Amino acid sequence: MSEQLFAFLLRLYPAAFREKYRDEALQLYRDRLRDETGTFPRARLYVDLLADAATGLPQAWRNSYAVSNAPSFAQITESMPSFRLLEKEKLRPEFIAMGSTLSVLVLIGFGLFMSLPSPFRPLPNSRNPKSPIESVMERLNHSTSPQPDGSGPDGFEVAGVVPATPGALTARGQSGAVDVPTGSAPKIDPAERQRVVQAVAGNLQVHYYDHEKAQNASAAILALEQRGAYDAIVDGPDLAVRLTSDLRSSTHDLHLIVEYSSRSLPNQPVNPPAALPAVVSEQYRQAMKQQNCTFEKVEILPNNIGYFKLNSFPDPAVCGAEARAALQNLNQADAIIFDLRDNGGGQPDMVAQMSAPLFDHSVPWFNPRANPSSTMLSPAYRSKLANKPVYILTSTLTHSGAEHFTYNLKMLKRATIVGENTAGSAELGAFHRIDDHFGMGIPETPIANPYGKPDWELIGIAPDVRVPAADALATAEKLALEYRKN
Amino acid sequence: MPKRKLDPLPSAAFHILLALADNVLHGYGIMRQVEQQTNGGIRLGPGTLYSSLQALVEEGLIEEVDRSPAAAKGTERRRYYRLTSSGRKLAHHEADRMADLLRIARAKKILRGEYV
Repeated sequence: MSEQLFAFLLRLYPAAFREKYRDEALQLYRDRLRDETGTFPRARLYVDLLADAATGLPQAWRNSYAVSNAPSFAQITESMPSFRLLEKEKLRPEFIAMGSTLSVLVLIGFGLFMSLPSPFRPLPNSRNPKSPIESVMERLNHSTSPQPDGSGPDGFEVAGVVPATPGALTARGQSGAVDVPTGSAPKIDPAERQRVVQAVAGNLQVHYYDHEKAQNASAAILALEQRGAYDAIVDGPDLAVRLTSDLRSSTHDLHLIVEYSSRSLPNQPVNPPAALPAVVSEQYRQAMKQQNCTFEKVEILPNNIGYFKLNSFPDPAVCGAEARAALQNLNQADAIIFDLRDNGGGQPDMVAQMSAPLFDHSVPWFNPRANPSSTMLSPAYRSKLANKPVYILTSTLTHSGAEHFTYNLKMLKRATIVGENTAGSAELGAFHRIDDHFGMGIPETPIANPYGKPDWELIGIAPDVRVPAADALATAEKLALEYRKN
Repeated sequence: MPKRKLDPLPSAAFHILLALADNVLHGYGIMRQVEQQTNGGIRLGPGTLYSSLQALVEEGLIEEVDRSPAAAKGTERRRYYRLTSSGRKLAHHEADRMADLLRIARAKKILRGEYV
């Protein structure tokens, strides 16, 4: 052991110890080196030094060097505030390096954590989730002028008040229901801002099912308003976004939303869907007949793979028999592919009816729009599909009821999802009008999810196998074939 | 108030007290003396030695003395230590305690012989 090595060993001792005894310790080392020559004594010296470090170090640190060097707490408090040197030694470069590395690692870890998908933030690919206001406008459009292409009312309503999704074949985002100009954003004055915040808080307290959370969230936004946190917001849409964000961060409920519409909102209450005029139902029935219930393709692909492309989940009262027939046609298949890439949603009852043949036992069933939202789904008897692999093709146009189907089968581990992240539109809040331009969606009943995970609101459903929607069918066929081979 | 580190008295500290009973010694001298009085059984390393010396000084059991003239004129920088009266008293107590233990050990036939 060279003297440098021994000097390095000494650096492990407290600074005060080194200051006082370093030279003497080195001298002692030199003395022993001088006196203990020969292989054995020299080896013994080194063993002694190592053993000494093991026993002497703890003892050195137990001694009162540090304590005697640092001013005691009593001394500090008794005297006037002053700077005191706790450690005379300079910060060593290796400590600085270690501290820097640790900081960088923490920073990277934090960055990674923040980039993870969070249920409280919309993901970039969850584009164009429909808001209650859009739903309201669409509902009005539907009831006043049923669409000539036959797309009828959608069973996915907003808490039993307002239908949410467009007709089966209407492309999402093309309805133009909410006319938000792309130019200069509409301005609001301070008085309106205050009125809106108070109305949002009031509506929340009256309608939100969790009164404690409602109180807290209301108090939070009112306090923010009082403190002037919203003073800088002069655009209506910005205020809506900010209030939505504040409500969600307070309640952790993604189904709460505040919306701004540049078009004046209707003042009259919207008809509940249960009271849909009979003529609309008849029109819907006719349209479904013409469209073959939006079941675009039911066929057996090569390798005996059943393929079912359906563009909505229509009302079972109208299309129940067709749905049963479609699945019966595929009953002998070795695997089944549900193509929901263009499926805009539909009736929860049809979602359940379509799922039942895929099970041979009862399963916990989630229907966020029903009360209670968590029930059991009974299997369909005489179905040969219960043990066959199921693939669901998804795209960013897979909405609402189609997401309901996808979500439940995914949670039950009954299907492999192939394609893209779905749209993320659950729209479970009841619409409440605040004024001509502002409205909000509020869930009025608690939504119990038997799967214990966030539902698909805003975040959509991530596919198990992520491929572009255009490649999803080929991929699923390949997967089905591989599954059969194995 | 730092905790008393020498209660019970560690073996190394007792050996240092014994080494300084009839000598004024520096660190290396103490180490050699301890080695000699234990027939080479104990060789105090610098860490143990100086930590113990520091603790003994803090407790007032030994004290530093002016350097010997021989060392003062040289380039070596050494501290010399001698026993204080309380150190001597403590060493005496410790030896007494050990003598008691020896008597018990002999009575229990664990240790034989007349010496000690």
